[in-house]
Amino acid sequence: MKHENTIAGIILIGFCAIAYWLTTGFSEVSAMLSQNVPPTFFPRLVLSIMALLSIILIFTGIGHKPKSAEFLPASFWKTVGIIISAGILAYFLGTLITLAVIAMVLPIAWGERRYKLIAALTVFLPISIYVVFTLGLDVRFPTGRILEAVM
Amino acid sequence: MDIGLEYALPILTDPIVIGLIIAGTLIGVIIGALPGLSSSMGVALLLPFSLYLDPIPAIALLSALYCAGTFGGSITAILINAPGAPPAVATAFDGYPMALKGEAGRALGIAAVSSVSGGIFSLLVLLFAAPLLARIAYSFGPPEYFALGVFALSMLASISGEAPIKNLIGGCLGLLIATVGIDLTTGVERFTFGVPELLEGIQFIPVLIGLFAVTELLNQAQELNREKIAIALSAVKLPSLNDFRRVKNTILRSSGIGIFVGVLPAEGSTMAAMIGYNEAKRWSNRPEEFGKGVIEGVAGPEAANNAATGGSMVPTLALGIPGSATAAVILGGLQVQGLRPGPYLFEEQPGLLYAIFFAMLIANILFLFIGLLGAKVFSRISLIPSTFLWPTVFALCFVGAYGLNQSMVDVWIMLVAGLVGFVLKKNGFGPAPIIMGIVLGGLIETSLAQSMIIFDQQWTAFFSRPIAMVFFILAVVSLAAAQFRSLLAKVLPHRK
Repeated sequence: MKHENTIAGIILIGFCAIAYWLTTGFSEVSAMLSQNVPPTFFPRLVLSIMALLSIILIFTGIGHKPKSAEFLPASFWKTVGIIISAGILAYFLGTLITLAVIAMVLPIAWGERRYKLIAALTVFLPISIYVVFTLGLDVRFPTGRILEAVM
Repeated sequence: MDIGLEYALPILTDPIVIGLIIAGTLIGVIIGALPGLSSSMGVALLLPFSLYLDPIPAIALLSALYCAGTFGGSITAILINAPGAPPAVATAFDGYPMALKGEAGRALGIAAVSSVSGGIFSLLVLLFAAPLLARIAYSFGPPEYFALGVFALSMLASISGEAPIKNLIGGCLGLLIATVGIDLTTGVERFTFGVPELLEGIQFIPVLIGLFAVTELLNQAQELNREKIAIALSAVKLPSLNDFRRVKNTILRSSGIGIFVGVLPAEGSTMAAMIGYNEAKRWSNRPEEFGKGVIEGVAGPEAANNAATGGSMVPTLALGIPGSATAAVILGGLQVQGLRPGPYLFEEQPGLLYAIFFAMLIANILFLFIGLLGAKVFSRISLIPSTFLWPTVFALCFVGAYGLNQSMVDVWIMLVAGLVGFVLKKNGFGPAPIIMGIVLGGLIETSLAQSMIIFDQQWTAFFSRPIAMVFFILAVVSLAAAQFRSLLAKVLPHRK
């Protein structure tokens, strides 16, 4: 992990530089209003400390050999795709249908082949969420663009 | 000393509060027993739903879950060598070898009794120390709070994790996240990128759910083929009275360690358990038997990790400085409920301390029975296939993040936090320091700004305040100690 510290440190310094630059875009206020503590003061202080720590992190990794690259399995990438799709799907299909889709797709992506159990989860998970949250706690889930257009 | 016992009775006689405490305990043990799900994640997942309750029932529910979740991890640590939560890692060192020898019931019994003892000792400390500490904190002004915040952040250097530097960077990242939104002093937008939903800042709960639960979901996606084998519990023997006599001193010592570690800002159950285990080994007449299945090796970490739960609530309630990652989540819950953790909390919500005390006490007593009688059931729960468990957890994450403000922006914040959290975790940056930073961000920035105004920009005036100076010195000592430990590990690599 030591060599990776150098790379992580460099990325963090880049992050600090960008964030610092963003603080230059904050609206300026008079010294009287800000009482000499401008809105940039604290973020810049934190970023400076973070950059300093990142420099130390870089030095802890210098001189160490890089670790062989670690490949993440296909199931990981499928999961990333599925959870990001969930955010997009919810816009079109609504929350409950999206959760039903997730309950069906995620187990299959993870290698589950007991289809009766998957079907049971697909049906009962959104129903349970509807009963507990919509009927019980009055949380209104969006129905999604497609259902809105149909109805 | 008036500790306001009149507030205890209404809590103890309220069936809703009692019911929630029992529910919190059961959920906590189940969550703790499920590998990958920790009490921090459990509290994070339950937090959005607890907001539908009044503050006292809500905090009682979360506190019971915190306690029970810490114990629940020991069930899977002993039975399947897969600690349900990080504080139970040390329990597996001797608990699992005991289970392999057919002594699973004995190990679970020792774990339950040790956890309950540690938990109850720490609750007594919580009941008496928290109001006392709060009284001391009455005299704190902004400079003292700023120094205390700096001390709490410095403690991040020594919490469990790969490197002190990375924990400190994580803390800074949390502080930075806390600056997003409108600056309260000047009304200036900071890091909002024109997104109206960010004007009030990044919501704490979606970040929390993302960092704890979604990150773990992605982690689990890499380890799908890990085999879990339950130990047969049909012919187990329970601990004898002689066993309890044997671990009595270990429990007392570890309880003291757990309370002390818990009270320290940012330190939590995991570190308490590791120290508890090491000290049990160091004081033992047969240290060479540790790791092969000795009851002291189970009692030490279990008493310590549960003692840390009550201990960590002391600075959380009295000062508004979280004593552990889970306490940070509960602190966030108090803030979202509109409460002000700190010295005035006990004046504004006098029943709150008792709600937490009784919730944790009842949880402790309940999981004694659960640990002794229900281990067989919970060991089965721990074998729920991850292919069904994690889609359900993700659905709860989704609903939890959405439910707070009924906003999809919060769902996206949760997803981004989860993805970023996973990348950070892969590189040795844990979620706990980031959460600490977010929770402490408001307090540190506000108290620093107020101090600078009081001192007329003369920052050296901080050193004229004795209490602030003490915290600064403690911060320096904490950083130096973390660095010293790091150097010692390099010089003496054989020492663990």
